[in-house]
Amino acid sequence: MIAALLKVTDLTVVHDGDGGERTLLDAVSLDLAPGEVLGLVGESGSGKSLLCRSLVRLLPSSRLRISGGSITLSGRELTTAPEAEMLAVRGGEIGMIFQNPSSHLDPVMRIGDQITEGIRFHQRLDAKAARAAAVDILAQVGFPDPARQYDSYPHEFSGGMRQRAMIGAALSSNPRILIADEPTTALDVTIQAQILRLLMDIRARRGLSVILVTHDLGIVAQVCDRIAVMWQGRLVEIGEKRGLLAAPAHAYTRSLIASHPSLPEEDMPAKAEKLRAPGAVPVVDIEKLHVRFATGGLFRRGAVDAVNGVTLRVMPGETVGIVGESGSGKSTLARAVLGLTPVSSGTIRFDGADIASGRAVLGMLRRQTAMVFQDPYNALNPHLTVGKMLAEVLRVQGKIETAQIPARCGELLDLVGLGRAFLDRKPRSMSGGQCQRAGIARALAVDPKLIIADECVAALDVTIQAQIVELFRELVERMSLTLLFIAHDLAIVRNLCQRVVVMHRGVVVEEGRSEEVFSRPKHAYTAALIAAVPHIDPDKPLLAPSKMATPQADGVAN
Amino acid sequence: MHRYKFVLYRPLQFLPVLFGISVITFILVRLIPGDPARVLLGTRATPEAIARIRAQYGLDESMLAQYFYFLRNLADGEMGRSILYKIDVLKLIATRIEPTLTLVLCSVVLSVLIAVPVAAIAARNQGRLADQVIRIVSTFGIGFPPFWLGLMLIILFSVELAILPVSGYGNTLSEKLAHLVLPSLTVSLSLSTVLARSLRAAMVEGLRSDVATAARARGMPESIVFWRHVLPNSLVPTVNLLAVNIGWLIGGTVVVETVFALPGMGQLLVRAIFSRDYMVVQGVAMVFACATVLINFLADIVTVALDPRVKL
Repeated sequence: MIAALLKVTDLTVVHDGDGGERTLLDAVSLDLAPGEVLGLVGESGSGKSLLCRSLVRLLPSSRLRISGGSITLSGRELTTAPEAEMLAVRGGEIGMIFQNPSSHLDPVMRIGDQITEGIRFHQRLDAKAARAAAVDILAQVGFPDPARQYDSYPHEFSGGMRQRAMIGAALSSNPRILIADEPTTALDVTIQAQILRLLMDIRARRGLSVILVTHDLGIVAQVCDRIAVMWQGRLVEIGEKRGLLAAPAHAYTRSLIASHPSLPEEDMPAKAEKLRAPGAVPVVDIEKLHVRFATGGLFRRGAVDAVNGVTLRVMPGETVGIVGESGSGKSTLARAVLGLTPVSSGTIRFDGADIASGRAVLGMLRRQTAMVFQDPYNALNPHLTVGKMLAEVLRVQGKIETAQIPARCGELLDLVGLGRAFLDRKPRSMSGGQCQRAGIARALAVDPKLIIADECVAALDVTIQAQIVELFRELVERMSLTLLFIAHDLAIVRNLCQRVVVMHRGVVVEEGRSEEVFSRPKHAYTAALIAAVPHIDPDKPLLAPSKMATPQADGVAN
Repeated sequence: MHRYKFVLYRPLQFLPVLFGISVITFILVRLIPGDPARVLLGTRATPEAIARIRAQYGLDESMLAQYFYFLRNLADGEMGRSILYKIDVLKLIATRIEPTLTLVLCSVVLSVLIAVPVAAIAARNQGRLADQVIRIVSTFGIGFPPFWLGLMLIILFSVELAILPVSGYGNTLSEKLAHLVLPSLTVSLSLSTVLARSLRAAMVEGLRSDVATAARARGMPESIVFWRHVLPNSLVPTVNLLAVNIGWLIGGTVVVETVFALPGMGQLLVRAIFSRDYMVVQGVAMVFACATVLINFLADIVTVALDPRVKL
């Protein structure tokens, strides 16, 4: 084995709090060879990001400190190096990119200047040479017109291009190691595939070592050489990816693999299809719906068709998934169904009644539908206990007697698997998954005909995602719920929904039974979407059909 | 440069605003009890003399007619004649505008010069001694009324140390500037504390932001992180606060000009109100209103220049 470029031995980070010391990283050891890609996986709070920050000694709080262990970079000790030396290490030897390029790029500084900054500081080039070098880097990370785009600001680019710019800024000082902390989590699948290809391409060209932090096992299976699994601040398992995925040693790794919603290859056993009574009234009947948003100011008007002629029918008891990339109009569609967004043309009928026909219908709609939101924590009132929150909904709803409300609250918590002890808990003391269960209990309290779940698992860890999806599956079966499930994660939709609707730029491009759409997509966009999902099996390569990473392939043209 | 296109059409929106302001000041001035003719002629004036003066200035006509004359004069570039000074209001204002304008300008520049470094020191030493001291001092700065502060400064610098003039305004540039030091200092001691607090809060947030983390991860030293990334991002919200405060400051010059006996617009306004000199009160109010509108317009331009995301 080649000598390690970076060697971490028994690294321990503690938090000095009011209640004494808390160990956040517990004797973590790993090494990284030149040119190697190491995948670092684990749930939120497992210490993945903290480990990355510790490597360059950028701890997110002054109460955190490295209390033991060592980090050596080519034989040099970093834990005790003076701050001036660390400045040269950061950027110059270890570059970092982050999850959210929108918040990590300076909004008031030109893209090119953010790259030039590092070049000038680390390589001491003059302004002109630095600009030329930055233009070169912009070209390398896939900007089609780097000389002109140098002078653009971050907000003028899409999320994928911003991530390319951030990679460019990290590469500006020729680091030998690149730490990528969830670099594609905020991106759509097709863009994610492009960015991963770009990272691998750069690794190959520059001989970079990469530490790739992610919660998605599919990504590590596709792009990494070795995998390290973190759990509760400890590194519980590390090894070559095929061996580790085939024979996971630690219980957490096993549950992580089991809960990965990878797209199954062969047809799953057909989901129990409910018999549809002939002539039943659809719960939601959308016809030629257009939702147009005005853009521009007083003097220069334009319009964007967020939803452009969508026709969709949801029958009672059906579970319909709506998938598509950000900006495809899926959330706008959901908001329109709830009467939260003015409709430009077309009709939406709820249970046979046109929701545009008056306040009475809108009132009925709101009493009989419920929404589950993306951010489980912020969707709950922080001042109310779960019990009070549910009681409030039941009281306003007025469907059951006041005396029976407490009993009903308990039942609802049983339904979502939260146990009655949660009646007195506030969101602050609950985990993301528990908050989302409370959110679902609140939706069920309405006793709704229709539940709309908008990206309701996107903010949760993989193992929790699997639990919530399982909960929805149970509820749908037990209570014959009608569910409109909006998600960008194709695998989850395939696992949960009988029918799937694929949206692209405001239009439904494909619709049908999940098994059929996913195994035999008819539309090129659906096919591209499916092909871009990283598979947990390393031998089902994502990157093989190597159309080189081109930003122009931003969504596939018909 | 289409982001700056609003500079061309935004002034159109000023017209209805200014019209509204003219109506309100016109009515409010006439709601002040008292009769300008009586004030002008004294208590022993004959009713005939009062009537003559009232007719001369159009005060005997209906409010609507008076407002109509006011607008017609405005279109001719006149604001009527001052009853007290017997000259055109616009000419009168022209002689008084310089001290006020210079005072506001000096105060704003001085405030920014104080606020930025003070906020920077506080933010970069958050929670430490320097930050605590700055917070306590700035609380006093906000707490003390400007007129009291002005008097204290006079006592210290003019009476005790005798290095600066007590009051008034000079003729040469250096004299004028010497007379403006204490008034500007008085104003900026209160204004800069407000600015520094807002700026400090924005900087503290900026130092913790992802932008700062990313810059540190690129190996940028703390000074570059601060001056090149945190400061520009913190200025945006402060510019609007400054604009609002300059609007308030223009009205506030009334107090400061009185304390320091500066012959500016504020002083003119006070005297005009006491002598029911309607035309002057109206004129000064209109000028103040225009200045406030203009300053907010300038703040919009600065905001657009500072933040490429802003479109107006």
